[in-house]
Amino acid sequence: MSGEEEENAAELKIGDEFLKAKCLMNCEVALILEHKYEQLQQMSEDPMNQVSQVFEKSLQYVKRFSRYKNPDAVRQVREILSRYQLAEFELCVLGNLCPETVEEAIAMVPSIKTRGRAHDDEAIEKMLNDLSLIKKFE
Amino acid sequence: MFFHIVLERNMQLHPRHFGRDLRDKLVAKLMKDVEGTCSGRHGFVVAITGIESVGKGLIRDGTGFVTFPVKYQCVVFRPFKGEISEAVVTMVNKMGFFAEAGPVQIFVSNHLIPDDMEFQSGDIPNYTTSDGSVKIQKDSEVRLKIIGTRVDATEIFCIGTIKDDFLGVISDPGATS
Repeated sequence: MSGEEEENAAELKIGDEFLKAKCLMNCEVALILEHKYEQLQQMSEDPMNQVSQVFEKSLQYVKRFSRYKNPDAVRQVREILSRYQLAEFELCVLGNLCPETVEEAIAMVPSIKTRGRAHDDEAIEKMLNDLSLIKKFE
Repeated sequence: MFFHIVLERNMQLHPRHFGRDLRDKLVAKLMKDVEGTCSGRHGFVVAITGIESVGKGLIRDGTGFVTFPVKYQCVVFRPFKGEISEAVVTMVNKMGFFAEAGPVQIFVSNHLIPDDMEFQSGDIPNYTTSDGSVKIQKDSEVRLKIIGTRVDATEIFCIGTIKDDFLGVISDPGATS
């Protein structure tokens, strides 16, 4: 249980297993779940009966909170953010919340400013600009 | 946060399923067994997206059942302490409010709501600032920080706060209607 105590996403302490795992942004989850839902629809008349409550709630949630709807935009977001040496988890928090200012970004993902990482305010600003451009042209 | 991870499970299969479509039967049973479940370690299993491998089956003595080790990819939802997340408010009362982020419930106590927000009872209970500019009620979308998680055998509960910079209401349903 000691590992549990130290868990803190703000310092990127989320356990080795999840740190190495592939993290998904809400918009990516929406694409995956919608695809799966369509498959179920083809197989049965009433797909909502087939899926678990967890699935249903997750689908509703990611549809509501997806910043990017278009699959190309989703791919671009990941591509752009992955240029900035972010951890998977940080990348997804930024992609999900789309902070508008450098200050906000640091408040959302405090770990991007911790020591030993080459993120000055300018780099973060540029990253946020790139992100807002995708949104604009979607 | 949602993750795409590989998990392993030992599946027991009844001998009546042994045949051409053994693999399909195995996958169908796996989906039925694990989708929608929750564990403290991996969080909620939302959907299985693929099968990595099915190992060699082992016949169990005395029963005829066969155990197959199956590795599968799945989408899981796992909340973390310190994580910032968006959520939908589901219930408001004088103790605070409940919100949902995907499958997980998050409680925000009134101590963790900014001091300038007061509870208003009535038809639609809500928390409102003294000047009435910000309102939290059912169906509001809020951005909150998870500060604690409690793991149950089949569920995860979270405690959240909106008493920090850049947290609070993102949209309130009352404003548009």
